[in-house]
Amino acid sequence: MNSKSRSLLKIVCVGLLAGLWAGTTVLAAPPAAAVPAVPAASVAPSVPAATDAAVLPANGTVAPDAAPKASDFKTLDQEVQGVKKDVIDLNKDLFVLEEELLFPANTQVAVFLSMDVGTFFGLDSVTVKIDNKEVTNYLYTAREASALLKGGVHRLYLGNLKVGKHELVAFFTGKGPVERDYRRGATISFDKGVGAKYLELKISDRVPKHQPEFMVKDWE
Amino acid sequence: MIDWFLRLCGTRCVLVLILLGCGVQVYAASALVGTEAPDFALKGRDGKNLRLSEFRGQVVLVNFWARWAGDARLEIKDLDRINATYQRAGLVVLGVSVDEDLRRAREFVDSMHASYPMLFDGGSNIGRDYHLEKMPVTVLIDRLGVVRYVNVGFKRGDESAYLDQIRELLRE
Repeated sequence: MNSKSRSLLKIVCVGLLAGLWAGTTVLAAPPAAAVPAVPAASVAPSVPAATDAAVLPANGTVAPDAAPKASDFKTLDQEVQGVKKDVIDLNKDLFVLEEELLFPANTQVAVFLSMDVGTFFGLDSVTVKIDNKEVTNYLYTAREASALLKGGVHRLYLGNLKVGKHELVAFFTGKGPVERDYRRGATISFDKGVGAKYLELKISDRVPKHQPEFMVKDWE
Repeated sequence: MIDWFLRLCGTRCVLVLILLGCGVQVYAASALVGTEAPDFALKGRDGKNLRLSEFRGQVVLVNFWARWAGDARLEIKDLDRINATYQRAGLVVLGVSVDEDLRRAREFVDSMHASYPMLFDGGSNIGRDYHLEKMPVTVLIDRLGVVRYVNVGFKRGDESAYLDQIRELLRE
């Protein structure tokens, strides 16, 4: 099912990109057949040409002002930038569409990880089990752990779950106070409704006890 | 006469099977060339985790090895020399041990004193992702994260082929 949806999306994406490319090509330089025929006598060297093609005067020599101007390049550059922006927007829309197709809101469950301060815990890896089945095991590099400490939030898992009661267990591995190997777990039982479910694994410092604290938060 | 015919058929079948096997091996080894290198994160000898995608922008040589396969000792020594020479030019060498016995793999690595990071595969999907059917396998990844060369096996003199490939990727 997933591979089929991906294939479909790829076809849609290629089609849209081809359509977009064809559209911009037509806008930039219409084909000769599409341009209305202009009598040769009416084309004067001083008159700016409607198309990018250089217009030769009657004697066959290139007119001095037929050379591309800086403004022409600027316009072309703007068009290229416009096309790039359209492609980025399209890519974003496709990404959203893909997520909606693969993970519909009525079954979607997402697990995020955030970290606060991290004085008492150096994160190494997180394992997530849902209904006693391991769904992800993620190893964090020093750079990723540092990004989390700067306020980053990492989406650990995105999947589908049936409506009803479920249990999530997360195991955190790393270095605890005094550089000791540290492994702790956190559990949450949650109700999956008809809407998307977002759960946050939060690591924070419990200063009075000089220990890290692991919580699972259910975002309603 | 019948015996001769059956023997001929048997020989042909064996030949076809060998050729098919070679085809599969070639396919498995070269299937990754031109595709984005599958990402992985593994624990190093020093306990730190390394992720392949964090080396994007540099030429990466990933050497999958096991103690029992080929001349691992010789290859690690050669890769150590390559790393020392080309590290400053933007080459990253990563050694990945696929040994099931992690303790012995660590002991082996400790005895080698390699200057480049050695990572240990603790049961991830890396073997499947990289089609590791034979050992050792050396994969060269360009600055854009695309697999450019896959070298299966190692024998004395292969390091010069690695050098040609590395120089080509570093020049890009």
